[in-house]
Amino acid sequence: MATEAEGAPLPADETSSRATSSTVPAPAETAAAPAPANPPKLSNAELKAKQKAEKAARRAQAKEAKASATPAPTAAAPQQDGSKGGKQPSKGGKHESSTQEQQSAAQRPGQPPRRPSMGGKRPSLVAGGEQDPRAAIPECFSHIPMAKRIPTSQANKDVHPAVLALGQQMATFSVRDSIARLKYMLLAFRKVIESYETPKGNSLSRHFVPHVLNPQIEYLTECRPMSFSMGNAIRLVKAKVNKFDIDTPEDEAKEAMLEMIDNFINERITLAELVIARNAADMIADGDVILTYRHHRLVERALRLARREGKHFEVHVVDDPFDQTGLQLAKVLRSEGVRVYYSPHLGGTHQVGVRRASKVIVGGEAIFANGSLYGAAGTCDLCIAAADAGTPVVALCETINFDRDRVSTDSLTYNEIDPERGSGEAFRLMFDTTREKYLTVVVTEYESETGNSPAQSILAILRKQEDQV
Amino acid sequence: MAPSQAKYAPTLETFLKSLKGQPLEASIESLVFLLKRRQIKGAEQCATATARVLLQVVAKSRWTDVDQLLANVQKHGATLTQAAPRELVISNIVRRVLGLIRDEANEDRNAAGDEYGVDSVSDMGALPTPPEQPAPTSRPTPQPAGRPGPNPIKPGLGTHQSFISKSMFNLLSVVDPSDSTGTGSPVTGASTPVFQATSSATALRSEVIDGIEEIMDELSQADDQIAGFAEVQIHPGDYILAYQPSATVEKFLVRAASKRHFTVMIASGPQQRGVPEATYASLKKKLNAAGVKTIHIMTGSFSAYMPRVSKVVMGASAVLANGAIVTDGGSAVVARAAHEFSKPVIVLSGVYKLCPENSSEVEDPVELGDSSSYVSFADGPLVDGVEVENVVSELVPPELIDMYITNLGPHTRDHLDDILADHYKLEDIDLPLQ
Repeated sequence: MATEAEGAPLPADETSSRATSSTVPAPAETAAAPAPANPPKLSNAELKAKQKAEKAARRAQAKEAKASATPAPTAAAPQQDGSKGGKQPSKGGKHESSTQEQQSAAQRPGQPPRRPSMGGKRPSLVAGGEQDPRAAIPECFSHIPMAKRIPTSQANKDVHPAVLALGQQMATFSVRDSIARLKYMLLAFRKVIESYETPKGNSLSRHFVPHVLNPQIEYLTECRPMSFSMGNAIRLVKAKVNKFDIDTPEDEAKEAMLEMIDNFINERITLAELVIARNAADMIADGDVILTYRHHRLVERALRLARREGKHFEVHVVDDPFDQTGLQLAKVLRSEGVRVYYSPHLGGTHQVGVRRASKVIVGGEAIFANGSLYGAAGTCDLCIAAADAGTPVVALCETINFDRDRVSTDSLTYNEIDPERGSGEAFRLMFDTTREKYLTVVVTEYESETGNSPAQSILAILRKQEDQV
Repeated sequence: MAPSQAKYAPTLETFLKSLKGQPLEASIESLVFLLKRRQIKGAEQCATATARVLLQVVAKSRWTDVDQLLANVQKHGATLTQAAPRELVISNIVRRVLGLIRDEANEDRNAAGDEYGVDSVSDMGALPTPPEQPAPTSRPTPQPAGRPGPNPIKPGLGTHQSFISKSMFNLLSVVDPSDSTGTGSPVTGASTPVFQATSSATALRSEVIDGIEEIMDELSQADDQIAGFAEVQIHPGDYILAYQPSATVEKFLVRAASKRHFTVMIASGPQQRGVPEATYASLKKKLNAAGVKTIHIMTGSFSAYMPRVSKVVMGASAVLANGAIVTDGGSAVVARAAHEFSKPVIVLSGVYKLCPENSSEVEDPVELGDSSSYVSFADGPLVDGVEVENVVSELVPPELIDMYITNLGPHTRDHLDDILADHYKLEDIDLPLQ
């Protein structure tokens, strides 16, 4: 608490220098943050509490800001309505170009809030207007987080432009699955690190995390609840920074961090995907009928790899009628010469789908400490049906998605509300949790002698491994 | 043919209206087409249409005795059943009507037997055939009704009192020529005996028609009666998941809402391209007006919500003898998810949807529907090579269902057999096979 309060002057000064009436929330922000003596070692729970407090403060602030500057948002609204459904600019290259203006917008605080030029605004958020979109969430689901587009002008000014843009893309789901979000977050952090200069009288190892990295993380979390892989990666990055000696030269430290991020992306993301696809493809045999749920990039890679190796099998894609990502997979596989069945919804799964299939392969967003699989809503229903019919279920998941601390036995503990359908009038959860007993095997990039291990044993190994780092 | 309403697609209502002015064959034909085109679909509509057409069969078709009537109903019933093999209620209604005819005929015979003993000994002395066996005597002469034939016995009977002739009718109706009520044409010379025989057929006819009307009343009241059991099952504070609530389920929920405060999670079925999304606006309005909260869940999967749900209520288009139900596609997943979390699944269904078939006898456990509602026909690669399977109705196995509420009350799976036995005659159970 003490250090945070002492370290606070800088951000406090900054917030008070912000144009709109931020004097009220600013103290609340700092006071509510329950930061321990060593901020980098924030535990997840504490981090969450802190973020929550700040979110509340920011919300209040946003309300005031809006009340004082109503004309601007209303003027912006029609334009966003028109751009509804518009495509997001592609990631990567676009980051820089669009962030230039955002940066300038952020640095000219006196001006009316400027919206980013990106389209793809979610309609419900626009319709929500001045109100807090969370207000419409039915009470029994009010504990579940929801992605939210916050105008870049209302973001903390410490947020790096690259991160600002990424946050918008996450909030609009153009950067969507857990690994993509992780990867782009790390790439954005690279930029943050590259442009970082330690202020005089500070040391990188003490200054970087609380004053530079944390605001980025908070902002991203606010845009969309962090995926578990992001949490894992952030923990590792912070651990890395913490290890720097207080006298480590800045260049050296930055170099080491960049290298670490590059390695991380290479090993835990790129290579992991390859290895998992390889392992999963090996499990596919001639004559198999593979049942899968929606589109998951690991599943797609595995199936394509198996096909390229000349295996003859059929694929049955079951989709979510409210989010038809499976159509694309069906098309891709078809073009590779695979016979494809496509079910637009889970109807008939019990009677036909799992009975015709010889294997079910699903991809996961995360795996909890108890081995249960966090996947796209509907994965659980499919896996249960498969278990009923005695069809083996193969789950694909990178180890970076394994959460060592959280345990979830039902789908309402950790989940996310679809921001497009986040009210009593239309409600939808985006994920569900499949209990470990319905998964026959979990395929990860981790190589063990037996090939593939149950999730539990992988978790145990991961714990050891990461503690050594 | 169907009354061609130039602009409007025919519906159940237009069909029912058309019944009056049409000859029987035309009505049946038009219903067959309507069923095949799914312009009449759903258990309720099919049941009503079937009952009304069978009523016409009884009223208009040519028959002179019970067996001819049964044969007529069976024949036309089979035609309708084949027109919509997935609509199991059609054969249910046919069975009900057949059972009804058998009952009425038996009553008549029994009554006749009594009279026989009391009054007519002297008069009947010449007639050796016991009245219990009308059927065999009638079989060999499938004489086309309506043709006036020389009848050696009738004239003699004509002198008897009418109630005796009633009993005699059962014995001798074989040759009864007149079946004029339906066609309205006085075929014969309208001699007295003929008239009397007719009057007895008329009696049976009107009794059967009354019976069918009772069935139709049952159809129309079933939902209300089912709703009567709502408040017992739904408790304050419950979260009720209603998957694609049918009219039956809606009534049930609304009735419960008048007594209880709970939350309804309305799960709309899969959204379809081109079809306006089901909003259940009127249901929401009614529930909200009663102070019941609604959450409209738009998803195809339900495991995620189950920890919160306290009961699942679903309708059925048919309940099979072993307790399985035929219902909308996607219901099996809902029921399985509920089962996973040990939440009771309550099936609401009128007794008329209860079928004597077992799930193994149902030809196909799923019914595939229009795939273009999910996949654009303009999407070449998909249309070309991907087999799109849009399951519109499926079988939910009995072990996933905890309770059945019919218009007779709540039942367990084991009790279904008794209800079946009460409603169908053994000889009609094989009906669709004919």
